[in-house]
Amino acid sequence: MAHDLRMDAGPQAGGLVGRPLGRREDDRILRGATRYLDDINPPGAAHVAFVRSPFAHARIAGIDVPEELDGVVAVITAADLEGRVGDLPVQGFEGGRVSAEGHPVLAGGEVRYAGQPVAAVLAESRALAEDAAELVEVDYEPLDLVLDARSSDVTMSDWHKVTGDVEGAFASAAHVVRASHSLPRLAPVPMEPRGAIASYDEGDDMLTVWVSAQDSHRQLAGLAAVLDRPEDSIRVIVPDVGGAFGSKGAPAPETMLVAVASMTTGRPVKWAEDREENFVASYQGRGMEADVELALDEDATILAVRARIWADLGGYLMPTTAIPTHTTAMLMCGVYDIQAADVEVLGKRTNKVPTGPYRGAGRPEAAYFVECTVDVVARELGLDPLELRRRNLIRELPYETALGWTYDSGDYERCLALAEELARPEHHSDDARVIGTGFGMYVERAGGLYETADAELLPDGRLLVRSGSSPHGQGHDTTFAQLAADRFGVDLDDVEFRFGDSAEVPRGVGTFASRSVAMGGSAVVQAVGALREKCDAVAARLGGGTTLREVAEAEPGIRASARFESDLVFSSGAYGAVVEIERATGRLRVLRLTAVDDAGTIINPLLAEGQVIGGVAQGLGQCLVEEAAYDEVGNPTFASFVGYSLITAAEMPSVIAAFVETPSPLNPLGAKGIGEGGAIGTPAAVANAVADALGGVRIDPPFTEEKLWRTLQGAVS
Amino acid sequence: MRISVDINGRGYEGEVEPRTLLSDFIRHQAGLTGTKVGCEQGVCGACTIQLDGEPVRSCLMLAVQANGRKLRTVEGLAANGELHPLQRAFNEAHALQCGFCTPGFLMSMEAFLREHPEAGDEELREALAGNLCRCTGYLGIIEAVEHAARELRGADVQGD
Amino acid sequence: MADAPGGGVVKPAPFDYLAPASVDEALGLLGLDSTVLAGGQSLLPLLNLRLARPELVLDINGLAELDYIRDEDGRLRLGAMTRQVALERSELVGQRWPLLHKAVRLVGHTQIRSRGTVGGSISHADPAAELPAALIALDARFELRSAGGSRFVAASDFFLGPLYTVREPDELLVEIEVPAQPDGAGTGFAEHARTHGDFATAGAAVVVAPGGHARVALLGAGPVPARAEEGERALAEGADAREAAAAATVDVEDDHRRALCAELVRRAIREATA
Repeated sequence: MAHDLRMDAGPQAGGLVGRPLGRREDDRILRGATRYLDDINPPGAAHVAFVRSPFAHARIAGIDVPEELDGVVAVITAADLEGRVGDLPVQGFEGGRVSAEGHPVLAGGEVRYAGQPVAAVLAESRALAEDAAELVEVDYEPLDLVLDARSSDVTMSDWHKVTGDVEGAFASAAHVVRASHSLPRLAPVPMEPRGAIASYDEGDDMLTVWVSAQDSHRQLAGLAAVLDRPEDSIRVIVPDVGGAFGSKGAPAPETMLVAVASMTTGRPVKWAEDREENFVASYQGRGMEADVELALDEDATILAVRARIWADLGGYLMPTTAIPTHTTAMLMCGVYDIQAADVEVLGKRTNKVPTGPYRGAGRPEAAYFVECTVDVVARELGLDPLELRRRNLIRELPYETALGWTYDSGDYERCLALAEELARPEHHSDDARVIGTGFGMYVERAGGLYETADAELLPDGRLLVRSGSSPHGQGHDTTFAQLAADRFGVDLDDVEFRFGDSAEVPRGVGTFASRSVAMGGSAVVQAVGALREKCDAVAARLGGGTTLREVAEAEPGIRASARFESDLVFSSGAYGAVVEIERATGRLRVLRLTAVDDAGTIINPLLAEGQVIGGVAQGLGQCLVEEAAYDEVGNPTFASFVGYSLITAAEMPSVIAAFVETPSPLNPLGAKGIGEGGAIGTPAAVANAVADALGGVRIDPPFTEEKLWRTLQGAVS
Repeated sequence: MRISVDINGRGYEGEVEPRTLLSDFIRHQAGLTGTKVGCEQGVCGACTIQLDGEPVRSCLMLAVQANGRKLRTVEGLAANGELHPLQRAFNEAHALQCGFCTPGFLMSMEAFLREHPEAGDEELREALAGNLCRCTGYLGIIEAVEHAARELRGADVQGD
Repeated sequence: MADAPGGGVVKPAPFDYLAPASVDEALGLLGLDSTVLAGGQSLLPLLNLRLARPELVLDINGLAELDYIRDEDGRLRLGAMTRQVALERSELVGQRWPLLHKAVRLVGHTQIRSRGTVGGSISHADPAAELPAALIALDARFELRSAGGSRFVAASDFFLGPLYTVREPDELLVEIEVPAQPDGAGTGFAEHARTHGDFATAGAAVVVAPGGHARVALLGAGPVPARAEEGERALAEGADAREAAAAATVDVEDDHRRALCAELVRRAIREATA
């Protein structure tokens, strides 16, 4: 027990880091003792149902709210919010431009996508709110639609970089290979939809907001900006969160509405999104097309890359809508030593729900565009695809790419060799089926900015750590406890963590971009280390044999905090897929998937592998069945699980996951980030395997039976 | 309408409208929020509970239909506070991440394993297809269920 | 004016509710503004989305008199309220009408089958449903009862379109009757879905018996489940599985769907003749 631990025994040998410990947080989940957003029911709460646009693009000529509505507390439209709220902020990126098309809280004179919130009905129950919402009459005048990025003439973001003599490289190249790719939009589909509860204390002028979110910080900053309130007058509490995958990072317009409504009505206000709303109104992922060209010399060395990328951004820029486009563009050299690059990405407005970060957030797109093009090169030049890669891999790291990022560490060659060994490649063709094998490599940017932690010694000698990172399924409580216990020299049980309440945890950055261990974990280790030093100093003063409890008694509340800052770190990997396509039906089965990831130092291999497998499943979903498609009048076809499929346990192939660890020099843990690799490497590998099975014919995902069957039919005739 | 329902061996009474869903009664009126709601369409399985021991979607039943019936929810799975082998197996195999789908899986698979103790891996995977998970990629869940199935079979054989 | 709400609708619109205690009482309450609630696995999703807005919901789960599985003079008689899981567990059905087992096992998932009923599945008439196709292949007939009496409709005449049957608003489906199958009959059922969580895209139910008896029923090949009589003739005339499947699907629109249905018919025939 920590409080009996003698201080001069020195830090424990540790050894929790690197161990596949089961999660401490599981017990309350397994017993049903969790508290997600919809489990919270403040007494006297009014419930919200939104009136949403059925049109993809329309002018709002008028909104008619019936006078007497049963059980209704208020009906709020944009007119009621005039002067009280601004649009949601928009985040830009380095070296490019984003326009100021922030998402309004409620639609004013115009709606730009089907599902956009137009009015909010507050009532004594959700059912009553829905009853009343049906009676709100909105007069829409439909406007022309744009449903395709390439044909849209409104650019909301753009970025263009040219380095090196690209023109010269293409002019003198022995080979120029071109390939086009199209990745449809995907819906993140966390099992828990979004939600928010707000409560306003007029006496204290304190607004408290519970949000199903990826962290409290960005929600708080968004609320302060949109409501024009000082940050210290807002408290954000993140309860248990049922998955997010990027979709609960930026604050939602609905959350803003809930907050304002609690202030105007003087009652707590609750919004618990339903599944249809989540499909239709939560920002989506992917939605990019690219034309890629590679210039190569006679030895198949890649001299230059040229890429034009169109991103289908939707009707508005949500705070982080433009970020994935920048990430994709910056990674267009992939894992290859390419000296010259000309990459442009245009973010276009369309009449669809906005896009934003979704697991991988630009990195799967880049990996896909680059790796599928590399395989086209291999086929056109008659080279083995792995040999072609080996000729071009970056070997000396750190390495600054032509596009401007510095990859901190990695061993791409080793990842590829291991993937090749584990993948058991197979190629086969007979009357019944074809089997193909494909590989895809990736490099992804993780971490960056800063993160915070605060460590305190409790009166009983246990350690309490407050972290700026925030879990939504990844196992922060266990992983961080392993780090803290090792660093402080106590047992796992003697460490307690707090996350998610802005009144408790130090202001930080949050959980996204696979940053938690590298950034949050490093901050934890630094804070705990600093506390350890302070405690040692106290113990030295008090004399030998002091226990931690005695230190706490001598200096009540002894604590230390840390703010860890770092440049981006770069995880990488090599994935291999073996697929089978049945000729009679076009049915695709992934026979086996090999995932080799280099995320630097792995703190908990059990949890890290869980992240990989989870990411693989989402990557497979993208390949097999997922597509958030709109029809020709801009209506979503994916408003339920009937229109949008997720794979089940019965579809998962066997997965071999292996880790290569090249520690990052940029943080004390050597960690780089494992949360997204599965979703980044899988689509490229599967796409290349499908192309291999189809004898070189390429199609875009999802690789549906219909597409595969038609392709095979075409190949036969 | 006034209804009376036995949940995990305890009686719960409440006033409901005909349109009140059983999932809402369990969560908001009986206050047992362990059962989750993910779609209200019967597809995701997060709301799965047991009615007289059979797994059912609580979002596809009206609360009035449960009047006088016996339900079991995840809160009633651990006997005397001790985790069921399936719950322990989920922890050991890292079969949960965000945990939102977990109660639905537990209630579905506890019933399935009781009914089909000899189920093979293929059958288990098909049975698991009735619950969706977006975090784990299912392999940990498959491992947990296989392990629990073996343990439950072994326990019977040894007469524990 | 588009009527898609665009999300945000998850609680049913208000309705009145009655739970009749007998079939006669239920018959007296049927009408245009009421909807029958059997298993609820198809109705509740529609209520939750407000796509169905009945004034009155008639809960017939209390009609124990409609919950039975009987063998009468070699014919199978199923009460309309027979739960799908009960059909799945019935040894009688497994031995004498195994095609029903093969079909019902594929209906949704266990959790759906715990509540879903045979009669409910038939009355709802989802074009992707398995039981209607299997019952057509088994030459089943359905009893529809109203306050004015009963009538019997052959399964193959029952379905008019997606979610649309010959049942009048004042009628209740009370029984499903399946004749004895010819001696030595073999059966097969094959279906296809995008994932194990999705509704079937297409499927085939096959019965073959020595002496030229052949039934091929398709689901997902057209607006209703239906017999593929060209395929049945081919089988009766001794065609192999491939030829019979081609004949059975010659009218299926869309070449991929046709190929898919043909493959499923082939598999079902092979299973039936194995």
